[in-house]
Amino acid sequence: MPESLIIDNLHASGTTSASAPLPVLTGVSLSVQPGEFVALIGGSGSGKTITAMSAMQLLPPQLAVTSGSIRLGKLELTLATENQLNQMRGGRMGMLFQQPKRMFNPRMTIGAHLREPLRLHGKLRGHAAEAQVISLLAEVGLPDPAWCAKAYPHQLSGGMAQRAMTAVALAGQPDILIADEPTSALDKSLEGQILSLIDSQRRDRGLGVLYITHNIATVAAFADRIFVMKNGRIIESGPTAQVLSNPQSDETKHLLNASSLSASSTGHTSTNAPKVLTVDGASKAFRMGRGRKKAVLSNVSLSLHRGEILGILGQSGSGKSTLARSIVGLEELDSGHITHTSGGNGSESAAVGPKVQLVFQEPHDSFDPRMKLRTSLEAPLLRHTKITAADRRERVERVTNEVGLDSRLLDHRPGQCSGGQLQRMAIARALLLEPDVLICDEATSALDALSQRRILDLLLRLHKERGLSLMIISHDMAIIQHMCNRVAVIFEGQLVELAATDEFFKTPRHAHSQELVAVSAPLWPLPNIGYGQLPAPNVL
Amino acid sequence: MIAFLAKRTVALVATVLLASFAVFLIPYATPGDPARKIIRSRVAGDAIDESAISSLTTELGLHDPLFVQFHRWLGRFLSGDMGLSYSSQTPVVEQVLPALGITLTLVVAALGVAVLVSLILGITSGLHEGRRTDRVITTVTQALIAIPEYWLAPMLVLIFAVKLTLLPSAGWVSGASLVLPVAVLAARPSSYFTSAVRSGMIEALDAEHVTAARSRGLSYPRTIMRHVIPNGLLPLATLLAVWFAGLLGGSVIVEVIFSIPGMGRLLYDAVLNNDIPVAQGSVVLVVALAVAITTMADLVHRTLNPLLGDNRA
Repeated sequence: MPESLIIDNLHASGTTSASAPLPVLTGVSLSVQPGEFVALIGGSGSGKTITAMSAMQLLPPQLAVTSGSIRLGKLELTLATENQLNQMRGGRMGMLFQQPKRMFNPRMTIGAHLREPLRLHGKLRGHAAEAQVISLLAEVGLPDPAWCAKAYPHQLSGGMAQRAMTAVALAGQPDILIADEPTSALDKSLEGQILSLIDSQRRDRGLGVLYITHNIATVAAFADRIFVMKNGRIIESGPTAQVLSNPQSDETKHLLNASSLSASSTGHTSTNAPKVLTVDGASKAFRMGRGRKKAVLSNVSLSLHRGEILGILGQSGSGKSTLARSIVGLEELDSGHITHTSGGNGSESAAVGPKVQLVFQEPHDSFDPRMKLRTSLEAPLLRHTKITAADRRERVERVTNEVGLDSRLLDHRPGQCSGGQLQRMAIARALLLEPDVLICDEATSALDALSQRRILDLLLRLHKERGLSLMIISHDMAIIQHMCNRVAVIFEGQLVELAATDEFFKTPRHAHSQELVAVSAPLWPLPNIGYGQLPAPNVL
Repeated sequence: MIAFLAKRTVALVATVLLASFAVFLIPYATPGDPARKIIRSRVAGDAIDESAISSLTTELGLHDPLFVQFHRWLGRFLSGDMGLSYSSQTPVVEQVLPALGITLTLVVAALGVAVLVSLILGITSGLHEGRRTDRVITTVTQALIAIPEYWLAPMLVLIFAVKLTLLPSAGWVSGASLVLPVAVLAARPSSYFTSAVRSGMIEALDAEHVTAARSRGLSYPRTIMRHVIPNGLLPLATLLAVWFAGLLGGSVIVEVIFSIPGMGRLLYDAVLNNDIPVAQGSVVLVVALAVAITTMADLVHRTLNPLLGDNRA
């Protein structure tokens, strides 16, 4: 008989400064009944993850629960012994994390990860465990379970890794699954698949789900109840329909707002404007070992006009990042040309050079963690010997202010900044070289809904003020629709459609585009939410 | 993997060939006629027979172009004939091989000690980062790095051989004579290994998958054993190979101080006596061994770290 998780008046605070411990959770109360889907929603830093980690009793040493109770069935977790907790973790309460690939030990196969909970909680070893590994991997919908069991984490795509992690979390037959933003790094259709998978588990075997996210729209179709958190408190809660149709607090309204993006306000650009970037017949294949090759780009040709925002739409693995990397010269094309037409004189250069800049997806990965941000930002200017140190400093500070950051932040290291701040820094660094073209490769998909919205606004402002031409690479239909003049769809390495944004969303021509547009249609009739890009669970 | 192996083997052979060519050039690079130097090393006094020099020049084929000579030298070398020692007139092979055995014993023992010490100290220190245990271990090992062998060796001899008379001060007779040289040789790598293991552990502990492992119900000790220590030790594998190669050449100070008839000592004497064949033989052998070990370590590292083995060459 599945049991429920009840968190009652939980307080937690930091343990490092003994004199005045900073409260991080204040009187948090929530419950998850068997078979119930509960969503816990809030911006970054609201205490969602800390609540989850308190429930697992896995808070980092600098944080501790100070009072309150966490009960799983009859077991009081705050008072449980280490042995009881080890049996509880994975056995009665499983957990999913945000970055599935980082949650696997890179040195161990997926099968080896799965065998751990099977042995600890199911007492399965040897052949019995092996058979269970395969059946679990099949249950979460992985196409080739036998291969997956032998694969290493880096060989899996993000979506596959999250499925595999779900298998690991469910291996011990838990009553409760805590899912901490398990899909925010995945594209929309993968997100829908993972959510449906979790949803079917709760229907089939009464799994209680505590689903943590910053994006209300994501869970609207699945959640029975919603809890909204801010500054370590629950500020609003209730049945999903009630919270969505009649939000009480400002925070809930903000969150609702941030997860809805309106369709493009930028309108058409004249295709008569001069071309600033031309990709002509770009092809690229990666070697897969033993002489096999996998084509990631086949004969892609497109161009970007001056002052245009071009969206490149595609699912993970479609080749859109390879295209971006090839344009700035991080990958060498097997064949094809990339031409940048610079400013006034219209001269063309084969080497694209500093006038085209790329902003990456992971803000924390695009800065050297040991360097102060100022050093990272000044680096691209050092090549130009004519710029004096004072001039360099001034330029860096000016561009930092331009992206809406305090220049004092420059003396911090990346670890001290939020994802949103760092992504602004990444944009600032790109702007330092005065580019004509800025390519944003999933530049906002690692950010929460609020930070994402602010970055998009910043990009639109820079587009307007600087006349930047933008190439927005994304899997997110809402972002493309909100930002772009034209859309190019990349599917299995090929350019399958190129059309004006409004036309594209009205009458997509290619089968894949039709599929993309179809799943982006709102599923849940939400007031003021145009962002419900959820695939219907029964379709999957 | 096969492509990688082939590439590595080619690189290995090329490195050894290049090194042996450099070694082969030694007698030509030093001033004077090689034949004259050979005769001089064999004959006492200043009287040198000019006809002996010219006949030796012909005998050794010194008139031939350099590459022909190198080819001949290398061919002989590969068939195990490293020539005769100038000073002892015995085949170089008979001197080099036993010496190599002794040095290898010394180096392997020292690295074994260093690995053992660094595992204990490094893991302890990594698990207690920032606490007193960690600070003490870090301070001591850092200090050890700064102590040169030529100071440490006499100090240890003074204490253990002269004052306490527990161990022999020099020579190569019994197991006891291994202790002091191995201790001196192991001191520095122990320190480096310890700090590598420590930072490897800290990094491995910090990885998010460690939390994930706990969330599956693995106890803290089991998580450390399964997911932290193996990952934290990866840097040690690389370091080990570098130090193996380094100590092969670097054992010379210890061998000279403790009068151990090893490779370093042999080379040292050969250089002092201008005994070129011995010097050539020892250097080529040491280089070949060092390169082979580095390559092997790369292979081991690849099998330990699945991220390296994939897709891109």
